[in-house]
Amino acid sequence: MMRRLLPLLWRELESLFFSPLAYIVLTVFLVLSGFSFVIALSVSLGVVSDTITLFLGQGMLFWVCLVAVPPLVTMRLVAEERRSGTLEVLLTAPVRDGEVIVAKFLGAMVFQAFLWAPTLIDIRILRGYGALPDAGQVLASCIGIACATALLTAVGLLFSTRTANQIVAAVGSLTFNLLFVGAPVMVDAERFGSLGRTLRTLSVVDHMSSSFGKGLLDTGVLAVYVAGTAGVLVMATRSLEARRWR
Amino acid sequence: MIRTEHLTRRFHDLLAVDDVTLHVPQGEILGFLGPNGAGKSTTIRILTGFLPASSGHASVAGHDVADDSLAARAQLGYLPENVPLPGDARVDEYMQFRARLKGVGKARRAAACDRALEQCGLLPMRRRIIGQLSRGYRQRVGLADALLADPPVLILDEPTGGLDPGQRQEVLDLVAAMRGQRTVLLSSHVLSEVEHVCTRVAIIQSGRIVAQGTREQLETEAGHRGEWELGAAAGEANVERLLGWLAGRGLQARRAPGTALCTVRLPSEAAASALLAAAVQAGLPLASFRPLTRSLHDIFLDLTRSSAA
Repeated sequence: MMRRLLPLLWRELESLFFSPLAYIVLTVFLVLSGFSFVIALSVSLGVVSDTITLFLGQGMLFWVCLVAVPPLVTMRLVAEERRSGTLEVLLTAPVRDGEVIVAKFLGAMVFQAFLWAPTLIDIRILRGYGALPDAGQVLASCIGIACATALLTAVGLLFSTRTANQIVAAVGSLTFNLLFVGAPVMVDAERFGSLGRTLRTLSVVDHMSSSFGKGLLDTGVLAVYVAGTAGVLVMATRSLEARRWR
Repeated sequence: MIRTEHLTRRFHDLLAVDDVTLHVPQGEILGFLGPNGAGKSTTIRILTGFLPASSGHASVAGHDVADDSLAARAQLGYLPENVPLPGDARVDEYMQFRARLKGVGKARRAAACDRALEQCGLLPMRRRIIGQLSRGYRQRVGLADALLADPPVLILDEPTGGLDPGQRQEVLDLVAAMRGQRTVLLSSHVLSEVEHVCTRVAIIQSGRIVAQGTREQLETEAGHRGEWELGAAAGEANVERLLGWLAGRGLQARRAPGTALCTVRLPSEAAASALLAAAVQAGLPLASFRPLTRSLHDIFLDLTRSSAA
């Protein structure tokens, strides 16, 4: 598996980092996260833990980045290969469809880690001014971002396997992300009974603000993200394999 | 090495491949001929494991392409139609990637890439970005990829599409040089390309194989016109005697102007044998006797036209 996974992953990274879109996304992301940091600093009135919670879990620009970046990064992963025909070349080599999906997922995750990494420099800047951020809170926030990004990246990949049009893939997964992140917050849990409560337990906003954002690692919440990501990746693999169904 | 049995593929209401049975033994180059949309690429996509068959079986080097797909693909070099390639990679980077994907070991990888690039005349282009190459060179990159892991089976879908005559001949010469070493299925809609390269030809039309065999077999069997040509020995008197003898047997013979050749229509092989025996018994001055056949080109056109109609 690793023998084929590594070249596939390497090729994905080359493809991601050599595309102009990557640098547009990177630039926009850096600008937005910079704004987000400045806003978090001014709103939190110098309380470091509040700055981190706002910057890495509650600010509006943070959510724009979290929800919009995975569709932009994943939209072309399979759709573009399908459109250009290179998917046929790839899948007629001795590789499993699942290996292709995992490599594309890991490639997108590495790229997004590269996008998010500069936010740690912002946190470091706080130390320079004598404010000592809680390492546990920062680490838990990073884990939360990684979990949510992994799930939304898997969803974006799934949408990309369903079409040969990047824009359709991006709009589809962005719509899903908005509903998935927004609906649990907007739905009145008490009014919708058990459905409302179930939705609330899946609320990414709640997880980021009340769990990861406060430095807590809830294994139940982690399990939801790990299982959800794995489940969606299996669906993406099945979606790619669907062409082989009789 | 390549075998299909009653292969059928249906896309909703369209029967793209209809009961295709093919066998390409080891070392043979099979020309897979048919007009555009005849079902060549769909058959090939089933053989390469990219699409499933609706029914029937296909195997490559003894491995079923559906049940043992990875093993089948490991034995296969494939050049798809239109050669889709990543435009952002350099030629040698792409070849290295494909070699790793195909399981070419680290120790052999550089040599395997060099050999494939050299075979396809790509060594001077190895540092070029694929997206900046001409159509001809891109075709060569696809072919080099197909040859990379030294596979025993090659499937080439329209390998000369979009090439100029010189490039076309180079590709065909490369394929011809593989005769006896690799098993090749070469798809094309241009007859002249395959008839000199391939050992056998299969003609597909509307998803069905309408003829297959060697060029000679096709010309003899599918190309028989029901006419025989009798050549008289030199001398006008001999021709006149032959024509008179044929007329006496109730056969209307046509004489090719300025030659000693006469053509008669006969209902069967048996009637032809009987006529020959009678001519010999009568002591006619015959120099030749042969059935008239159409060229492979005419057969291809007739078969594809009549099936389409």
